[in-house]
Amino acid sequence: MKDILILGIETSCDETAAAVVKNGREILSNIINSQINIHSQFGGVVPEVASRKHIENIAVVVDAAFREAGLTYSDIDAVAVTNRPGLIGALLVGLSFAKSFAYALQRPLLAVNHLEGHIYANCLDHSDIELPAICLVVSGGHTSLLYMSSIGEYELIGQTRDDAAGEAFDKVARFLGLGYPGGPAIQKAAEKGKSGKVVLPRVYLDRNDFEFSFSGLKTASMNEWNKLKRKGMADVNDLAAEFQAALVEVLVEKTIQAAAKHKVRSVLMAGGVAANQELRNLMKNRGQELGLAVYYPSLSLCTDNAAMIAGNAYISYIRGDFAPLNVNAYPGLLSL
Amino acid sequence: MLILAIDSATPVAGVALLNEEKLIKEEFSNYKKTHSETLMLMVDRVLKECECTVGQMDAFAVTTGPGSFTGLRIGLAAVKGLSMATGKPVVAVSTLDTLAHNLCGSNALICPLLDARKQEVYCGFYDVTGTFPRALSENLACSPAEFTTQARDIAAKHNKDRIILLGDGYYPYVEFFQAELGNSLQIPAPHLMLPRAAALGSLGLEKARKGEFEDIFKLRPVYIRLSEAEYRLGRGEL
Ligand SMILES: [Zn+2]
Repeated sequence: MKDILILGIETSCDETAAAVVKNGREILSNIINSQINIHSQFGGVVPEVASRKHIENIAVVVDAAFREAGLTYSDIDAVAVTNRPGLIGALLVGLSFAKSFAYALQRPLLAVNHLEGHIYANCLDHSDIELPAICLVVSGGHTSLLYMSSIGEYELIGQTRDDAAGEAFDKVARFLGLGYPGGPAIQKAAEKGKSGKVVLPRVYLDRNDFEFSFSGLKTASMNEWNKLKRKGMADVNDLAAEFQAALVEVLVEKTIQAAAKHKVRSVLMAGGVAANQELRNLMKNRGQELGLAVYYPSLSLCTDNAAMIAGNAYISYIRGDFAPLNVNAYPGLLSL
Repeated sequence: MLILAIDSATPVAGVALLNEEKLIKEEFSNYKKTHSETLMLMVDRVLKECECTVGQMDAFAVTTGPGSFTGLRIGLAAVKGLSMATGKPVVAVSTLDTLAHNLCGSNALICPLLDARKQEVYCGFYDVTGTFPRALSENLACSPAEFTTQARDIAAKHNKDRIILLGDGYYPYVEFFQAELGNSLQIPAPHLMLPRAAALGSLGLEKARKGEFEDIFKLRPVYIRLSEAEYRLGRGEL
């Protein structure tokens, strides 16, 4: 069969990204223009600023993806783009560009759910994943547990009721003066500290469902920090370590419970927080104890990228599931 | 020379196809649906009905601002995609120039206004007695009161006894403008009130003739305003 080359475009948050992927497997190029330095001065992603950067960068990034792949525009078979969920103004830049680019090249357009893209990142690294699986999607915008019966077939079984895990990392890091983005900052501080010296709550909510809540942990961390400072015993590294341990433990245990309840043998992690080393280690160890195969994408594929979008779109391409010219962008999760 | 003009700077979406001497087809929509849903369908209908393809265009024209931030980016992203895929160049035209061109030939002071929210308008001041609109000042964002003060001053300076307001920035402040500008105020007929892709196309053709093309790798909207966050950061409030 002929090779299928798909251009992927991703602008749902603060990375302008484009990639070319062959047959849903082989990454020929993966260009990411990160705006992290711009948003860090605001202490978080500013939607209007992100959209402004996307429109400046989109053509440059797409062109770079072709150059790196050594391809000309007309070599591709389809154009894939993230159209949900994400920042609406940001999504619209990528979607509008993808539509007209595909239209002018007379190639089909494929609309991709960003979360499915994150999960698919596992399939770019591993070709032997046994399905069904339980997927934990953890990022700055999401904390969701999904039952995945096959690629493209997902059922949402639980999600956060308040902050996303990545959001909690950002807010606590900001409060502790560790900087932005919070995930890497807290991980770095935690490596120098020790968990358990201060004690923070593990918030499980109902042990029998798969909902998360992180705002209580966030508040407890801030209260504990203020208390320690008053006593002159504040060690930012110890607190960072305990916060990370508390958050990771809940993520791992809920995921393991979900795997047991749904009788699956594979666990997939996805999203920016899946790059957290503590989370990767604990999930792997717990998985090993219980005979579960645990997968996570390589670090560069955990954060937002377009290779995961182009890869996931291959499934829709094979099915002939093309998007019409009037396809819109949606900020929230419609269904999954 | 064939040019495809695409405007989504305001609640209006417009697409027009023009050649050197004439307008061939124009679609205009000022009804509800979002540009993201309508714009490319409009492009497709205009081209199909005129039996051409994007590849046959000699240039693409787009309104680069001022206007709705998201609307401007939808238009610009669309035109960047078309230009990159076809290799055909882009000309950029101010939304306010485009509006002023609706009244080409009038000897009044022409003041296109766009609703900028936050009790402000985006506005410009034009002389349109020649073939193309001539801006008498920079495009700016200001309060309706600052606008009327400037409009009166510029009208006096250029000996214009009539002031014509047009664009969607007129509607929220109708009574204020009538009170401030009195008998000198004139309002055009509905078909001339809002941006027309046909007017964008004729201005675009002139730019294309002069070779005033944009680098699509650098092209960005003319917002006039900073984003709220940048504004607050600049004032040290963040
Ligand atoms: Zn993401």
